[in-house]
Amino acid sequence: MTAVGRYWVPGLFAALFAYPFLPVAEANRGEQFTILFVYALLALALNVVIGYAGLLHLGIAAFFGIGAYTVGILTVPFFPFQQSFLVAALAAVLVSALVGIAATAPTLRLRGDYFALVTLGFGLITLYAIRNLDAITEGTKGLNPIAAGPLPGVKENVDLSALKVGDDWGARWYKYPYLYFVILSALGGVMLLLRNLERSRLGRAWVALREDELAATCMGLNPARLKLAAVAVGAGLAGLAGAFYALALRTTGNPQAYDFTLSMIMVCCVILGGLGNRPGVLLGTLLLMGFDRIATNLLDNWLQEEFDLGGGAYTKVSGWKLIIFGTVLIVMMRFRPEGLLPEARHARELRESDDQAVDSGQKEK
Amino acid sequence: MAVLSVRKLTMRFGGITAVNGVDLTVEKGQIFSVIGPNGAGKTTVFNAVTGIYEPTEGAVHFEDQPLVKPLKGKTVAFALAVGLIVGALLLLLAVNVEGLWQAAVRDNYKKRDDDFTIGKALGSAASYIGAHSGRALAGFGLGFFFGVAGTLASWRRARHAPDVIAQNGIARTFQNIRLFQAMTVIENVLVGLSRSIATNPLLAALGVGAHKGNERDAERRAAELLAFVGLAGKHNLIAKNLPYGDQRRLEIARALATNPTLLLLDEPAAGMNPSETVELMGLIRRIRDRGVTVMLIEHHMNLVMGISDRIAVLNFGQKIAEGTPGEIASNPKVIEAYLGSEEVS
Repeated sequence: MTAVGRYWVPGLFAALFAYPFLPVAEANRGEQFTILFVYALLALALNVVIGYAGLLHLGIAAFFGIGAYTVGILTVPFFPFQQSFLVAALAAVLVSALVGIAATAPTLRLRGDYFALVTLGFGLITLYAIRNLDAITEGTKGLNPIAAGPLPGVKENVDLSALKVGDDWGARWYKYPYLYFVILSALGGVMLLLRNLERSRLGRAWVALREDELAATCMGLNPARLKLAAVAVGAGLAGLAGAFYALALRTTGNPQAYDFTLSMIMVCCVILGGLGNRPGVLLGTLLLMGFDRIATNLLDNWLQEEFDLGGGAYTKVSGWKLIIFGTVLIVMMRFRPEGLLPEARHARELRESDDQAVDSGQKEK
Repeated sequence: MAVLSVRKLTMRFGGITAVNGVDLTVEKGQIFSVIGPNGAGKTTVFNAVTGIYEPTEGAVHFEDQPLVKPLKGKTVAFALAVGLIVGALLLLLAVNVEGLWQAAVRDNYKKRDDDFTIGKALGSAASYIGAHSGRALAGFGLGFFFGVAGTLASWRRARHAPDVIAQNGIARTFQNIRLFQAMTVIENVLVGLSRSIATNPLLAALGVGAHKGNERDAERRAAELLAFVGLAGKHNLIAKNLPYGDQRRLEIARALATNPTLLLLDEPAAGMNPSETVELMGLIRRIRDRGVTVMLIEHHMNLVMGISDRIAVLNFGQKIAEGTPGEIASNPKVIEAYLGSEEVS
């Protein structure tokens, strides 16, 4: 692996940490990126289930929603709980993980497509439950406002105007993007946690299970427990992402934010980036969601200012967003099915079929 | 002491009887071979012993214990706990969870300065459930029944689980090699060692505990095993890129990594050339000398006759002979099974 390959992830994190301090970060100090980090966290969570354990899960958005609504219920002023953010986030992780275990345990015998269908159904049920349990979730209004307060020992506002750097750098810094740093740190922490997990016996057991369930079972590995562990870790992390989402928006928003489309886009992020490879998934999400949330708006504004094309939808990049998105996916799957930064092992698994012709010749006795 | 005793084992698949009333007894420290023409039911016996199939009739005892897991108090307690949880969930659905929440939380906290306590909320919840006691009881009863029944059913299915049998000390290799193909050689062995790595994965993920030390220790043991089977220096090759004979040897190393008492080898010499076969005979003897009892299925008669302590011959699912290599070689029934009888029909 080249030096660039090894150090680009720490480098990216360092750059992202530094970004709000730079003069180029205008008034909002990088706050527009916060939501990208939330989605990156969600994609990493999904990667545990799909990439590590090989379970095609099409309902990850449900855990995202459960996490967001757990934080909502525990922090909105019109419910009596009003917990601090730390307690609420921890509860979000635990509730999501438990729901994940409970919803997956009865379906463990299903394989491949059948498992995917069940998770699809689970995602839809959760969405409709959230939308219709008005007394608990406020239905389509969402839980609002979420005022969880900062982490203990952290001030949400600091006054740096006394520093007199540049014209108004310190003054604008007054409302610094507190959540930007919290969520970016959480993302970094999860990257490290997953790296350690990959290298532990659990990570190896997941790979073994993905490659050959029968052989793994005959090595004394309990497939049911391993799959439940993967779903629990994935659901817990997705719950954490949901907690941050609710916190960043200060509302759980419309339940539509947790629908099947989000699950599908997350699957795309994971596959585009490189199934099973953390840096790849990170890159895939930043590219895909960055295009969706940030780049299209910037391009729209730029086109309007430079060329003044009038206001028609076809003159805006955002109008062509889904077509561009779909085309990129098709081109990717044709020319680089293993993703932008594939994990070596997954790449080998994808190319397995080429080698089998050679193997079967040998296997004749 | 018999390491493995198979009593009156019968396996039927639909109308086909693959194995019919086979008795086998393997003593500790033996090399025990099972031979027979293709389709005689040898691999089926192995699959029944390792829990991949559940015997239609008969029993398999390992170190004088039945391989079927007995129903323990722990399982019953777990089933009851699952029943309670599912029952509680269905109760919530039956009484309408929204109404319950309204009564317990919202009605007790209408204004910001209302004095809300958990006790009060639980009291309201209890009275709400009491008001719908019929539905609540039905929901809970149904949930409890399905929870307990479901858990017991899945327990029953898992009584013969291959993973439990492997943990008890029976390891195996497969006729058509089943390595973890995209993993490296040493990773394959480390998967076999999984059960003996003590670290809790969650602690390992958080980076606390003796994770690194345990991993290094496991890697050292894996390296020993690889050297033992003759794969030293190939640690980082991808398993599927190994030559065929090496793949067989790696599968044996991976099986040995689970620290078995009994090792089942399903046609270990298939596809090997004569010199590799001779090496394999040495390896099997050395495995036996480590104190592992070996049971093997094989077609190579030189290998079988050269290393076996006892041989059983299967034909059409039935055992037609058992004895030392010398006895088997001169047994007329065995010769008939392999070469056919002289009668002209």
